[in-house]
Amino acid sequence: MPRKTLMTLAIATVIAVGGAAFAQPKVVSYPGLGMEPGTVNGTLTLSLADSPPTFMYYGQIDNNTQTLTGVVFDSLVEFNLETYAIEPALAASWDVSADGTVYTFHLREGVKWHDGTPFTSADVVFTYTQIITNPEARAGDAAQFIYTVDGEQRAVTFAAPDDHTVVITLPAPSAAFLLQQRFPMMPKHKLLAYSVEGGAAQADINNAWSTDTPLSEVVGTGPYKYDSYVAGQKVGLVRNADYWKVDANGTSLPYAERLDYLVVRGNEAQAAQFLAGNLDTLNISGAQFPDFKSREVAGADFRVITSPALFGSPPHVAFNFDDPTFGPWFSDVAFRRAMEQAIDRDRIIDDVYNGLAEIPGTPTAPADGTFYEDTKSLMLPFDLAAAGAALDALGIKDTDGNGVRNVPGGKDLEFSLTYNVDSGTFTDMATIFQNDFAKIGVKANLVGVSGSALLGTGLAGDYQAIIIALGNQPDPELRKPIWQPGGSLYYWHRATQPAEPGGAPNFDAMATWERRVYDIFDQGTTLVDRDARVALYKEWQRLNAVNVPVIMVAKPANIAAVHDRVGNYVYNLGVIPGYNPVPLYYVK
Amino acid sequence: MFAYLIRRVAIMVPTILLVSVVCFVVIQAAPGSFTDRYLEDPRMGPEAVARINVQLGLDKPLYQQYLRWITGIVTKGDFGFSFFANRPVSTVIGERLFWTVVIAGITMLFSWVVAVPLGIITALRRNGFTDAVSSFIGYVGLAVPDFLIALLLIALVLQTGGTQVGGLFSPKYIGVPWSWEKFLDFLNHMWIPILAIGTTGVASVMRQMRANLLDVLNADYVRTARAKGLAERRVINRHAVRTAINPLVSMLGLSLPELINGTIIASIVLNLPTIGPLLYDSLLAKDQYVAMTLLLLASVLLMVGNLLADVALAWVDPRIRYD
Repeated sequence: MPRKTLMTLAIATVIAVGGAAFAQPKVVSYPGLGMEPGTVNGTLTLSLADSPPTFMYYGQIDNNTQTLTGVVFDSLVEFNLETYAIEPALAASWDVSADGTVYTFHLREGVKWHDGTPFTSADVVFTYTQIITNPEARAGDAAQFIYTVDGEQRAVTFAAPDDHTVVITLPAPSAAFLLQQRFPMMPKHKLLAYSVEGGAAQADINNAWSTDTPLSEVVGTGPYKYDSYVAGQKVGLVRNADYWKVDANGTSLPYAERLDYLVVRGNEAQAAQFLAGNLDTLNISGAQFPDFKSREVAGADFRVITSPALFGSPPHVAFNFDDPTFGPWFSDVAFRRAMEQAIDRDRIIDDVYNGLAEIPGTPTAPADGTFYEDTKSLMLPFDLAAAGAALDALGIKDTDGNGVRNVPGGKDLEFSLTYNVDSGTFTDMATIFQNDFAKIGVKANLVGVSGSALLGTGLAGDYQAIIIALGNQPDPELRKPIWQPGGSLYYWHRATQPAEPGGAPNFDAMATWERRVYDIFDQGTTLVDRDARVALYKEWQRLNAVNVPVIMVAKPANIAAVHDRVGNYVYNLGVIPGYNPVPLYYVK
Repeated sequence: MFAYLIRRVAIMVPTILLVSVVCFVVIQAAPGSFTDRYLEDPRMGPEAVARINVQLGLDKPLYQQYLRWITGIVTKGDFGFSFFANRPVSTVIGERLFWTVVIAGITMLFSWVVAVPLGIITALRRNGFTDAVSSFIGYVGLAVPDFLIALLLIALVLQTGGTQVGGLFSPKYIGVPWSWEKFLDFLNHMWIPILAIGTTGVASVMRQMRANLLDVLNADYVRTARAKGLAERRVINRHAVRTAINPLVSMLGLSLPELINGTIIASIVLNLPTIGPLLYDSLLAKDQYVAMTLLLLASVLLMVGNLLADVALAWVDPRIRYD
């Protein structure tokens, strides 16, 4: 290396260390997760399922863009990796007014963007007012910041009294507000030109930072900086030596000097790349588990790690309440309770997930220490005889002797069961259901649709029965559009949805228990008292267990394979904002 | 010849327009919409999705969407906007063009360089041992899909402790300037796609070459050439093979669209950064202008390939004249 370069490097290091000294570090330590202090060195190679469509988090909803954003940008608050509690991140602390409507965030001092520009309250206000609440930003969240108070729409306001303070004022208290502030913060000095404040149109923000942008323009405050991008092949990142997190020994994070994301499409290709040693960690499925585990046992240089999942999507079976043919039965609790007994959860867990799943909540994840209500005793176990008897009691019997039960009026109980054909897990599940249903004289015809069309099929009501998996979040408020009757994703009973988008839901279509669930979610949004909220949401889970809006099937565990050279591994979904263990991984 | 060319190109214009309509209709006929992807996200209400529909022009009647796209192409060379990547379609396709052409070029070259001589040899030694073995391999190559060969090769590499299980380079060579080591690493990766994708091509070209040559070898003028006392080598190379290769020229022209849609599955399995997976993704996501542009491009390549083949035929075969 030429002398001059060495000199420059030395100076840069001094400046970097000096800069870090002024920062207000956050000490990160998780002995409970088995973490130990690591050393700064090496390259970590992780996988991306596809090229990112853009580097602009708010410009597109995409897992790969989200995964990259997680290591390049920070948010005001973040999850504790062990307890899922909300902790300080870019906001070093905050105060909440007694009435729960004014949040004052005190920003961490000395934080810099990757280009050296100081991070200030102006960036935070810019991110909120110009991007997150911009209704044209494709991955913004404008609706979250408009509250309906006494029938009137009122907006959240943002102010920056000084460089390190941000005041956010809500029109009404909001219980999950802090939890939602895991939005990646964006640099005003780089994005002003794409904002309304900078003279652009609202939709222009989506066009910022397309993947042909010079990477020096794409700066965050996060543990890694963009270094190189080769379309369809690799995203290269380098360690941010100025990062504001340190470990228990005072070593600044992240540990790995370089972080490479290899673009590898498809499970098989990813598995091959991992086994060949080109990837350091890989999230795998229950179906892949036996192969990986047997290799581990045979002495391969990696280990397979499983843990209960909070995030991640438990599958359910839904019957279309509004089906023109069978709607009257599908919307009947007794019918759904009968069919619940034809769902062999234990077999699905054993055969489809190789035992790496558990009986799900209804629908909160059992790993959720705060909101989960154990409703196992309320859920009906697999019992085909009981299922058949329950159908008999409803008058659904085989009256014409063709082996298929007939609903009153004579029609065969024969319906379509729609599932995601791209997923082996769902295909297996659908086949098991079809077989078990047939044993009680219920004929299900399998209809496979591509994974990307599955939810659309559900939302359009273009199915009779369907298998869908929707994700869990650490607070039921974040899943309100799914579980509140009349919500935009309450797809199994579309009659409850508002006639006009944004209008009042159709209360007339709701059953009594659905109305109660509706009210629970309404109250849960504004109720600040935590215990009272928890009690409300537990009531909702019990209501779900006995009224089975959908039949929850299983909650898959987290499974990952990790090479022995990687230390401090904690399962990482990649796409959850504010949950990012990558800076703690180290190369041995 | 010139008049013929003008006529052919003139016919292509309405054909391309018609194809563009068909592409558009086919894509619109598929269920779902690009904005479906937004619906599951907790951040997106139906109003927000409606706004994105307006932003993308998806609220307009279908014929208007089509006219806007086709007018852009004709007047400005603008192939529309990728909904997914938030940038012009031409740049999205452009960044994958290089490797697509390189990989398709190398695999095609491989299959031709192997197949043509094999075809000649098997024709000359008809029903011999070489013929039997090559024909057997040829049939297997034709019958086994390229992605399966790719998977088997990957399994083989893994079994033998190799690391080149897909992609074009080892991770450390991606994005660094070319060097001798990088080139070797590239070759170490490329043999898998060459074998996997190329083998299928070998089989069909070889069978074609063999059949053509067998026909020609029985022709009168070959007998005449032999009767004149020409050396056998000269008879084969100058008289027989030159004629027998003509149909292959047409075949070559017709294989041009394979640049785009020939190797989708193999490219996905082998993790190659080519246009095939892009077409697959854009069709699934209903990123309509990307999908339409690629389908249109494939049909244009087919027509151009055909035209080039016809022109090349006239050039290599003195019997063909277009005046």
